Amino acid sequence: MSLIGELDLEPRPLIRAALATLALIGAVALGSRGGRWLDPALLGYLLATLFACFGVAYRYFAWIERPATRMYFTHTVRLLFSSRVFRAAPRMALLALDQIFLQRFIEKRSLRRWGAHALLAWGCMLGFAVTLPLVFGWVRFTSEGLNPDRYQAWVLGFPAGAFPLDSFQAFLSFHILNVAAVMVIAGCVLSLIRRKQDEGDSATQRFDLDLLPLVLLIAVSMTGLMLTASEQWLQGRNFATLAFLHELTVILLLLGLPFGKLFHVVQRPAQLGVTLYKAEGEAEGRLACKGCGSPFIRANQRRDLGALWKELDLDGARHGGGVHHLDLCPRCKRRLVAKAQGVRLHGAFDPFATIPVHAEPISDSISLTS
Amino acid sequence: MVPQDYGFFIDPQRCIGCYSCVGACAECGTHRGRSMIHLDEMDRYNSTQTVPTVCMHCEDPICAQVCPSDAIKRSEDGVVHAAQKPRCIGCQNCELSCPFGIPIVFPGLEQMLKCDLCYDRTSIGHKPMCATVCPSQALLFVRKDEVANLRKNKPLRDFLIGTVHVETKNALMVPDPGTPLHLDAALLIHGGF
Repeated sequence: MSLIGELDLEPRPLIRAALATLALIGAVALGSRGGRWLDPALLGYLLATLFACFGVAYRYFAWIERPATRMYFTHTVRLLFSSRVFRAAPRMALLALDQIFLQRFIEKRSLRRWGAHALLAWGCMLGFAVTLPLVFGWVRFTSEGLNPDRYQAWVLGFPAGAFPLDSFQAFLSFHILNVAAVMVIAGCVLSLIRRKQDEGDSATQRFDLDLLPLVLLIAVSMTGLMLTASEQWLQGRNFATLAFLHELTVILLLLGLPFGKLFHVVQRPAQLGVTLYKAEGEAEGRLACKGCGSPFIRANQRRDLGALWKELDLDGARHGGGVHHLDLCPRCKRRLVAKAQGVRLHGAFDPFATIPVHAEPISDSISLTS
Repeated sequence: MVPQDYGFFIDPQRCIGCYSCVGACAECGTHRGRSMIHLDEMDRYNSTQTVPTVCMHCEDPICAQVCPSDAIKRSEDGVVHAAQKPRCIGCQNCELSCPFGIPIVFPGLEQMLKCDLCYDRTSIGHKPMCATVCPSQALLFVRKDEVANLRKNKPLRDFLIGTVHVETKNALMVPDPGTPLHLDAALLIHGGF
């Protein structure tokens, strides 16, 4: 059996992931001027990043091939490549700000959860925004000519400004990763405390999925801070060992990226597509439940779910009179179970059988605005 | 892990509509403050009959099959959990596809929540909140071998919607569980609501 067969890898996502990784290698080669600006000390990080890129891309492409995911992915791609995109663009920008950057939906779940997640997420984003261009050789710092008191920044091989070593800009450049590390540690510790105190999380969490990523992030941040401490206050003592430990923890984190919880970072933007899909459905209107007559399902979602059920071999879920199970609102589905039990229990003396009345408005918690 | 020799048995005809389960459910640690049990009135104007519905915990959950973000997982003990918080994108596919009308997607939270058999309690040997407080034992969580002594009816875990079979972990009490319970909308439309 081939290696692909043994690993149970799907060919199409595999090819796409390989192409994505090749594209990144090309971008690194181009941005680092044929590798000339690559920092040899960061080669280990580069290799781990390329592996993470392949793994994340593979999982992403395999994920969007799932029938249910494809349903929304196709809709979003169609939207992006149609004239409707211009009308949707301002809303998408606002949604990205609200859902991806500010993550206000987490605030609504719990302020404490949001606080911890915001520190963690922004710390990670800041950290990756600084380190990835350095690892890819897209950004580099050197002394300005023969002047050891000034630093020269290079972006994609082009000079991008110089600054004195004792300036605020220099302080920021040297310590921005420390700021990110403190944010990540604070976020992780708050998350761990919440997980310890929350009975629900304690019962359902798993070490490998929920705790290990937090432990790894703390390890990465701590070893990073210790590098600064060694350089600033310990005359570089144990710097090489600490650098090795930092590299090791970062590589472990990157290698785990495609497999663990942190993959949700790649999944979350799908929420934007879903919100737009819902808005389009709202404009199209809601269809009435065939049990009680109350409007409940958006027309576009009913169409797409019908196709999805067919693909999942669930299309046989049809009742007499051509009523599909999807045409019943959640409340009618629940009442149907009781009704069926009543018939089985008592036949003609069904306690649930009453005189027909006009359909009452749905009091189900299914939202008409979400 | 939920003890495998215990089962959840639902008998809507015993429900007296006291709403104890609704209040107790909101105390569950996994969805604290939000009640996940549904207590529906069959016909508010003509009958006092109420129907409590908890998740049936399907063997091959349709909610998980239609979830685009792969957020709904069934643990080894057969419990279908609420959508994983980092993954759920609030699309409502699960809410609209569940054969029993269980999941709830809360607007603004972008999060599906549902009955998870009070996993924080059942995984350490306690009863679910609703079964603990139900005075008429319409919701019963006992050892599977005890049910025969407690009830004349027997547990049924096999449902049929059209040609689609749905097998569940939780059971509905019926006199003859030999054949699947056929859920036919004709009962709703022509049967007297």
